[in-house]
Amino acid sequence: MKRLLCLLLLSSLTAFAKDDVVNVYNWNDYIAPETVERFEKSCACKLKQTYFSDNEEMMAKLAAGAKGYDVIVPTSNYVAGMAKQGWLQPLDHSKLPNLKNIMTQYLNTEFDQSNRYSVPYAMSITLIGYNEQKLKELGVPVGSWATIFDPKVLEKIKGRVTVLDSQSEVLGAALKYLGYSVNDRDPKHLQQAKETILKAKPYWAAFNASSYIRELSSGNIWVVHGYSNDIYQADLGAQKAGMKFRIRHSLPKEGAVLALDAMVIPTGAPRPDLAYKFINFMLEGPSSADLTNMIGSGNPNKEAQKFIKPEIKQISAIFPDEQTSRKLEMLKDMTPPQRRLVNRIWTEIKAQ
Amino acid sequence: MNRRSRFLWIASMFAFAFLYAPLVIVVVYSFNDSRLNAQWVGFTLEWYRKLLEDEEMLTAAWNSLVIGVSASAVATVLGTMAGYAMYRYTLRVLPILVVAPIAIPEILMGVSLLIFFVAINLTLGLFSIVLAHIAFCIGFVAIVVRARLAGMDDSLVEAARDLGATPYRAFRLITLPLIMPGVIAGALMAFTLSIDDFVITYFTAGAGAMTLPLKIYTMVKISVTPEVNAVSTLLMLLTLALIVIASKLSPGTLRGE
Amino acid sequence: MQGRRLHKWFISGPPLLYLTVFFAIPTLIMVLASIREPGDFGGLAPLLEQAEDGRRTLNLTLENYQRFFSDSLYAELFFKSFAYALLTTSLCLLIGYPLSLLIARSPKRHRDFLVLLVILPFWSNFLIRVYAWMIILGPQSVFTGALNQFLAWFGFEPVRLLFTPFAVIVGLVYVHLPFMVLPLYANLEKHDPALLDAAQDLGAGAWQRFVRITLPLSLPGVFAGAALVFIPAFGIFAIPDILGGTGGIMIGNVIKQQFLDTRDWPFGSVLSMVLTVVAVGLAGGAAWYARRARALA
Repeated sequence: MKRLLCLLLLSSLTAFAKDDVVNVYNWNDYIAPETVERFEKSCACKLKQTYFSDNEEMMAKLAAGAKGYDVIVPTSNYVAGMAKQGWLQPLDHSKLPNLKNIMTQYLNTEFDQSNRYSVPYAMSITLIGYNEQKLKELGVPVGSWATIFDPKVLEKIKGRVTVLDSQSEVLGAALKYLGYSVNDRDPKHLQQAKETILKAKPYWAAFNASSYIRELSSGNIWVVHGYSNDIYQADLGAQKAGMKFRIRHSLPKEGAVLALDAMVIPTGAPRPDLAYKFINFMLEGPSSADLTNMIGSGNPNKEAQKFIKPEIKQISAIFPDEQTSRKLEMLKDMTPPQRRLVNRIWTEIKAQ
Repeated sequence: MNRRSRFLWIASMFAFAFLYAPLVIVVVYSFNDSRLNAQWVGFTLEWYRKLLEDEEMLTAAWNSLVIGVSASAVATVLGTMAGYAMYRYTLRVLPILVVAPIAIPEILMGVSLLIFFVAINLTLGLFSIVLAHIAFCIGFVAIVVRARLAGMDDSLVEAARDLGATPYRAFRLITLPLIMPGVIAGALMAFTLSIDDFVITYFTAGAGAMTLPLKIYTMVKISVTPEVNAVSTLLMLLTLALIVIASKLSPGTLRGE
Repeated sequence: MQGRRLHKWFISGPPLLYLTVFFAIPTLIMVLASIREPGDFGGLAPLLEQAEDGRRTLNLTLENYQRFFSDSLYAELFFKSFAYALLTTSLCLLIGYPLSLLIARSPKRHRDFLVLLVILPFWSNFLIRVYAWMIILGPQSVFTGALNQFLAWFGFEPVRLLFTPFAVIVGLVYVHLPFMVLPLYANLEKHDPALLDAAQDLGAGAWQRFVRITLPLSLPGVFAGAALVFIPAFGIFAIPDILGGTGGIMIGNVIKQQFLDTRDWPFGSVLSMVLTVVAVGLAGGAAWYARRARALA
């Protein structure tokens, strides 16, 4: 009996030793299955994904020394820190001819000058998602962060609101509501943000970063603070389930957080050759459009625009105009003292 | 049935109802003709069909099973030895080493094990997961076996020794059968802990190594379709089948005869 | 008695060795981490710092411990988690004891089956089971509806079950119940029915037989089960995260945040060390007390 077990164990261990495999460390559901199929055919190799659902999870694992990934897809504000710690290899742009497909406004960000280490992948905006029918019924206004922070508005939707379980996102939204930058680390302003949050907290159902999509689709929750991709999929889910309401995006007028995700190659990647193939493939128009069509992600790729479904292009929260874009900010990384301050405030908020 | 047993029966029924309420939902909804796990719509076998086509999910389930069996087997052996040693010999350090892995927060265990594995250049993969699981399962087995041994009558063992049995024979023929229910209980707990572990597995898994809890965690956001219910139901039934087969192959082991 | 010494190391050697390598060493890494500085980008700062004049100094600090002890916020969360864990353990004992007793008293051929029946639900997946509780306790469920109907008859306001401390306790008890039932069963199973028969013959009632014979004999099992429930429950974070709503966090959540949000590994290590010491201390204290009680009896 024991021998059989050992054999089975060994066989499953050696199962993936042989083929050409490219290991991608990516967000959940962040590549369309069609894209994976096409890539595997075009490179005659296998794509193996490992998943994370939060940048910090990925950072913690890499900080502890995890290896074996060929491509990682972090959010761009993390690229600076990863590069400074020597975790990334500089990219050879000659191996990435499709880089020219990316719109110039998304290249050369403050986190990675001249795209030394990363190339853009997809984008999302953190905003408000809501049950259109329910909110119309109750006469709740949308279009501002007040929908989740103003007790007068929250009265009508008490216990039906969730916010993200992320200190930077929730504090960022509160800071924006108060008119500050999402990256404001002035202790006085942070205390004000804390007060705002504590006033609104009794009306919130939960801090939720995962199941809020299902809750929206099933009608249990009516307003969420969430990512634009998720909200798009919540709408799809509700429609597929035959619900009588639609889920809509609302980009608050005070502004919001923009997340630009990027592809990087870690130092010590086992197969950098396949990594370049993968990145170049994902920079192609159709591949990029596949993702947007699947999850409603923002798209920085010029060549992809013609492949994107028209109904998605109309959603202003996913394809914001010039004016709205100026109000979007990207989160910056923090210094250890700042992180400690923010975390203490966050713990205080959650402990009450 | 006297008054005492009736009370026991009612209390136990309540306990069983509590244990099975969520499970009923899981199983029933695996046949639900709706992508959302919210309301019952209609009956379908769609999700089971999808499951059988989902290679990643099946691999993950298989890996979880293999890891679970290996880790719990080794942990049971080591844990029984530890439990017996704690009972028999007064070693100061063993109880602490045994209990502490249970107390240490999983994140800490996961991160520190990862650092350690990287430092000793161990290739991460399924094997590293098994090693990590054994570490935290030993304690559970040891504590149960120790409790089972408490108050055991040593005179039987002494009698056997007097009659010429070697310590090993005495252990095998007298002690082991007596503690077997404890060993089995420990093994069941270790297996359960292993196939359901998420945090430690997350950190010690190699690139591309996937277990069921990891896979399901990735699906939690959007695609928690009833496919997950289907795989949970199947995994349960499969494990049950394995145990029934194992007990038929070595009859009497379970009962400690 | 040389053979005896050999046996001692033969039996305790392998588990000791395994635990030393795969547990003690990683733990030492973390103890060291708790007295180091956090790195600029998270994780840990380098252990040896090189000053301009080439001298190398050890980069250690007790600041993390100072921070913990000077801030009542964390102590409060510790107490709260302690209370939750204690309540969970008590409820598990209350619900699990009758069940274990029933299984132990059943005919031999039924026992294995019943034990399997107890643990079977836990071979489905943890997250799925917890999400099932979200459905059961959710606003649209039959259970919540029936409960609120019942309350309405008495003129009470409808209550919310999900995202409350009640939901967290339900989740905690549910997840830990088998770890009370199994050790308790393993102990109860070996009780000699002859003892109880004799007591009955001597005129002892059912309750008396339980309190004066079964309960004391089952104490090692009770302690084992209590340890295997309390210790994990003390540091858990997943249940309060999912079922607790906005106010549910326990110390386990704060520890998780240090590693997965703030990237302050030293502080996370401090919290973990305190948690471990308290939990092991409690378990050790209980064991010592139990041994003393038995010695005096």
